[in-house]
This record gives sequence, C-alpha cells and structure tokens, in this order.
Amino acid sequence: MRRTARPRAVIAAALLALLAGGCGQPMPDHSPQELRGQGEIGGDIRFSWWGSASRNERTNEVADLFEEEFPGTDVKREAADWGNYFKRLNVQGAGRNMPCVTQLQARTLGDFTARDALLPLDPMIESGAIDVSDIPEPVLDTGRGPDGALYMLPTGAAYDALTVNATLADEAGAALPDGAYTWEDYADFLRAADAGLPDDIAPVNYQGGLPNFFIAYVEGLDQDLFDGQRLGFDKRLLADYWDMWVGLHEEGLTNSPAEVAEQPPSPEAGYVAQGDVMSDSGPGNALTPVQNALDGAHPGQEVVTLPLPSGPEGRTGNVLISSGMSIPRNCDNVPTAAAFIDFWANDERGGDTYASDNGAVTNTRLLQRQLDDPELPDLKKRELALYQEIVDRDPASLLYPPGYMAVFESAFSRAFDDVAFGKKTVPEAVDAFFAEANAGLAT
Amino acid sequence: MKENDTGGPHVPRGRGRAVADTEGGAEGRPRADTKGSPKSSAKGSTKGSAEHNAAAYAFLTPWLIGMLVFTIGPMLFSLYLAFTRYDLADPPEWIGLENFRRMFTTDPRFLTSVDVTLTYVLWSVPLLLVVSLALAMVLNRGLRFLSGYRALFYMPSLIGGSVAVAALWRQIFGEEGIVNKALAFVGIDHGSWVGDPASALYTIVVLQVWTFGSAMVIFLAGLRQIPRELYDAAAVDGASAWRRLRSVTLPMLSPLVFFNLLLGVVNAFQAFTGAYVVSNGTGGPADSTLFYTLYLYEQGFAQLNMGYAAAMAWVLVLGLAVFTGLLFLSSRYWVHYGDER
Repeated sequence: MRRTARPRAVIAAALLALLAGGCGQPMPDHSPQELRGQGEIGGDIRFSWWGSASRNERTNEVADLFEEEFPGTDVKREAADWGNYFKRLNVQGAGRNMPCVTQLQARTLGDFTARDALLPLDPMIESGAIDVSDIPEPVLDTGRGPDGALYMLPTGAAYDALTVNATLADEAGAALPDGAYTWEDYADFLRAADAGLPDDIAPVNYQGGLPNFFIAYVEGLDQDLFDGQRLGFDKRLLADYWDMWVGLHEEGLTNSPAEVAEQPPSPEAGYVAQGDVMSDSGPGNALTPVQNALDGAHPGQEVVTLPLPSGPEGRTGNVLISSGMSIPRNCDNVPTAAAFIDFWANDERGGDTYASDNGAVTNTRLLQRQLDDPELPDLKKRELALYQEIVDRDPASLLYPPGYMAVFESAFSRAFDDVAFGKKTVPEAVDAFFAEANAGLAT
Repeated sequence: MKENDTGGPHVPRGRGRAVADTEGGAEGRPRADTKGSPKSSAKGSTKGSAEHNAAAYAFLTPWLIGMLVFTIGPMLFSLYLAFTRYDLADPPEWIGLENFRRMFTTDPRFLTSVDVTLTYVLWSVPLLLVVSLALAMVLNRGLRFLSGYRALFYMPSLIGGSVAVAALWRQIFGEEGIVNKALAFVGIDHGSWVGDPASALYTIVVLQVWTFGSAMVIFLAGLRQIPRELYDAAAVDGASAWRRLRSVTLPMLSPLVFFNLLLGVVNAFQAFTGAYVVSNGTGGPADSTLFYTLYLYEQGFAQLNMGYAAAMAWVLVLGLAVFTGLLFLSSRYWVHYGDER
C-alpha cells in the first residue's frame, strides 16, 4: 500500500502544481531594443478598450487606418462595456494575457502598476518610437505611476461637469451659475430653481454618494484625497459634505434616494437626459449623447455643461480624468504596440476619426485641428471648449491608489446610502467609510 | 488458490462470463478451464483482465482528464486558496484561518450577505413551491387548450434567469413601472420598489417565483400518477377538497415536493443574475440585495481578494451541505415513497 500511495501523492501534487503554474502564460524576455519600442513593425497585436457601440465603431476605424499605414500588421480587437472591462482585464492580468495595447484610465492605473504588470514607456519616448512632443507635460503626468515612470500614454482627457437642463432653469427663473461659483452659489441656484420648477422635477439628484462630486469638494478646499494608500482628508470634512447634502434633501431640493438608486448608470439614460431632474454631475464628454436623449424625451429643451463648483477661495474643483494606452509586460510584440500607440496619439486622420470620443484628445495639435474643423458638431466643440477652460485653471493631477474604484468608490456610495435611507447618522457613516476605505486601500 | 464453483480457478466475473458466453463449452464453463494449466490460466486471465481494464480506462480517460482538470483540480486548488491571501498577481501567501476569522468577526458585509441570502431562500423557495403546485393543480383539471397553457406557463422558466428579463424587472418595479401604474389606477401611490432597500429584495423573490415552470411541470407529472380511485374513495367518505389535498394529493406528491424543494434551495443559495442586474452589480440599495454569490464575485473579481472569495465559496458549500443534510433528515418524517410498511 505504501508503495502505491506515494506515487499517487506525487501525481496529485504534480496536478496541483500544473494547475497553479499552468494558469498563466510565460512572460516574454524582452531585449533592450524591444524595451525601447524599436524593431520590426508587423504581425499581430491585441488591442482592448471600453465603450459603447458608437465608440467601438470609431475605434475600429482608427485601427483600420493603422493597418493601412503599416501593411503586415493585424490588430485583434477586444471591446467591452465599462462595467465589465476591468473585471476581464484583471483575469487576463492574472493569466499574463493582457492585450499588447491595453486601454486604461488614471483611476485604474494603480491597480496594474502595483502588480508590475506594465512596461514603462519612457524608454520608448526617448528612442522616438512614441512621440509625446504635442502632449502637455501636466497631462502626460496623469499616466505616471508612484515611481514616476510613465506607464500609460494619456490619449484622452475627460472631466466631470455640472450638467444642467438650461431650458428648465430658465423657465424656473434661475440664472445659471457662472465663473468660479462655489457650493453655496450652487445651493442658491437650486433654491431659486426649485421655486419655479414643476413639482415633479427635482433641482438636483440626491448625489451625496457620488465620488466625483465629492472629489470636486475636496479639491476646491485644496485638501488631499489620498495620502499614499490612506485617505488624505479628515472625517470632519466628509461629515460637512454629507451634512450639506442632507440639508439640500431636507429643503426639498433633491429627489428621493430610491429614485437615485434606480437611475440607470449611463448618462444618456439618466434623469437629466430624460428631463426628469434639472441638474447633476456627469461626464463632460457625454454632452452630445445627453442632448440627443433629451431631444427625444423633451424636444426643444437644451442641456449645458458647466465646471463643477469651486472652493471658497476660487480654486477649481475639477480634475482631469485621463484615459490612455499601456503596454503590458506580457506583450510579445512591443515595437508594433509602440507604433500603434504613437499612431493613435499623433496621426491626424486617426484624431479626426476618433474625434475626442473618450475625452478631449491630449495632443494639442490634434485638438486645435478639431476645434478648427467647421464640420465638427457644435456640441462637441462646446465639450472641447470647456475642457480648455478647465485646463486653463490648472486642475490638480490625482494619483489614485490601487483599489481606488473597487474600494473607495464602492465604500463611499454605500456609506452615503446608509445615511440617505436612514440606516446610519452622518457621523456613523463617516466612521464606517473611513474604517472600510483605509483597511481596503492598505491591502 | 481459491476456486470458483465451476471447479476452475477463480477469474474475474466479467471476464469469465464474457468468455463463457462466446467461446465456452456447452456447460458454459469458462475458457480457462479448457486450455492450459490452472497456473497459466490464472496468469493469462490476469493479463487479459489488465488489458480489459486498460481498455476501459482508455475510454474513460477523456472524462477522467476533464474531471481532474476542470472539476476536482480547481476545487482542490480553491480549497488551498481559501487559506491564502491571493490577489491574482502575486503568488498565494499562506495565512491559515485568517480569511475565515475575518469573515465571521470583522466583515459586516459578509454577515449582511448571509442575511440577505437566507431571507431570499426562506421567501422564494416556499413561494415557488406553492405557486407551481397551485398552477399544476389548475392545469390538471382538463382545461381546453391545456398544452397551450402549459407551454405559456413554462416560458418564464426558459427566459426568467436571463439578463434581459432582470433588466426588464427594473422597469416593471421602478418608480414609473407597470406595477406602480397599476397601483395608481386603484389610488395607491408607491415609490420605487427596486430603489427602496425595504422592497428591493422582494422584487427579486418575485422574479424567482415567476420562473415556476420547471417545478410546475414536475408537479403536473406527479399529479397525473395519483390513482383516481383514491380521490373517489375520499369523496365517498365525504372528504372536502381541502381534506383531499391534505390527505391524498400532498402525501402522494411528497417525493416530488422534496425534489423541488431541494432543487429550489440549491438554486436559491446560488442566485446571482437577478441581483446583479437589478442592482447594477452593487448589491444595493444599501446592500439590501447583496446576495452571497454577488459579494463573493465582488471580492474575487473587483477587489481581487481571491483567497477570501475561495474561502467564501467553501463556506457556501458547507452551508449548502448542512442545509440539504437537514432536509434529507427531515424527509423521513414527511416524504412518503409508497413502499413503507
């Protein structure tokens, strides 16, 4: 019996080892030349991005242009919606199977740099394989990791904006806030609008649990959102912020928390786009689809986007949220991946085709070209104009720690839900949020 | 050497029969008795037996490989992961029982997910059984267009678990949904059902109960098997409809009730799609639809706590084993198979 038990144990152990080790592909051994993005441009690369059907169409067109520009290349494409994109990427990362050109966002970059999953792009920039001469340095910095190396080339810079149904505000007799308006100014605007709005239309969604709104509040006060892998602001600040929202709700300026919970996640399906709520925070680059949706729901109504509220000293609350492209360490065709990123960042035909679909194009030459284009729709020009206005106010560049979205955003929304639905007081929810966020970010 | 009752050496039963059936003598004696010495026969049969086994294993190999690689292997690996900290990127780090300690002592969301799931199981499974049995009894009355009704009632089971229907559920139970419009028609004003933590879970219970078709078809088949004479005898004895249900229908159907109950419990503990779609994957509002599997998924694929997620999966397996074990234990008191003396 002992003679047979041992081989069985060995076989079982071997199978387990095979499972453990066989989960991923071997990592390619890059030459110094490849790490500089130099070598033959050709063969297959995989490219992944997130987005809706219209963005998929534009992205495919740019990839087609690249294949035409570099005969012999074949771009295998992988698209997913925002919600599922990063979950899939996590699994691909575990299997060392991320696409050679992987679209990332500054908010998620830390998840991958912490795992050492990405190649630094600086050597490829130094060698000239990737040209960044037309991308402003502050924008470029949003793609850097904690070690200062560039791991993502920012290709689009998005921002959140206050999205307002201007027609409803006008009919209610409330003048839109302008310039560096503060949170107090915004509350006054809501009060003024509430007096003239129909009963079934709330001046604002009950959005105390929306992280991007809160970030604007923190930035306006010139406080740090993060201190390394911990929260950088104090409990009092968050309590003041949530007290402000509870106050707005008690004044009757917001809709119900149940309605907010039910709101579909896409901006074009949101209550502002459907004409059911007058204002909310939303992606600035969603102005066009939101207006299109409003045209369908309430023809003739107009939506506008404004910067988010500023701090009491006039400091902008807006931050830029850049999206860009990275090359994972598992990529076995780095020269072609570098060429693709360079093409995306600099080619005029590509820039015109993509038309700043995922945030304003970061290449200033391509941006100016789009602004000068008489055929660019007016709404798109307004998106880009607001981007320039925000950039001119020197917005802060945030370094998001690993787990930002999974831990911070999730815990923040849930903690405010507890307040909104009366399960916890503001101080209790603040304590719970701090405990969960700090514990989650630290691991 | 032990000899078999034919007087020859002992051979494996299957082999001996196969040879006897095809090549043995008139008395059906195995071939081993007619050729060679007992020693060489035994040797030959052992060799033949090994060949026979090898052939069987060869045919079984694809299944065995599949079972090892895709079922047993991952299960064992996940059992190992349950005792580790593993974020998919770095190698698993052994931390003993830490995941289980955290689960039961410092993670309030874990306990919330258990509470939500148990509430869901306790509501959805009995309701599913009652609704499916009631409809099966209605359909068993020989209505016109019966097959059409059957197909119609079964349809939700085919599509009920889909993402599309779960998304539709948000519309039906939303602030401006069909349910509220119907209620408004009779003067009742109600807010969003899916957006309110007090009612969101019950909309998913209704979604589950709506997929009653499979259980209904099984009950319907069982109802057809109950002898008519039992009802006739009960009627002659003056039994009311309720009495006939309690004393004839339910006891005769009890094995099928048990079967549907087991399936319902196992499915309900693993419910995921409805909650994921209705809550946009958050388990909200305010964690009111944070099903166990949803939280497990969040831990594994959003927060990348694969070790913790594996530990949660094994706790679920153990919980299910205990629950089904209790059901089996209880079944001896209320399930009647008709062969008891």
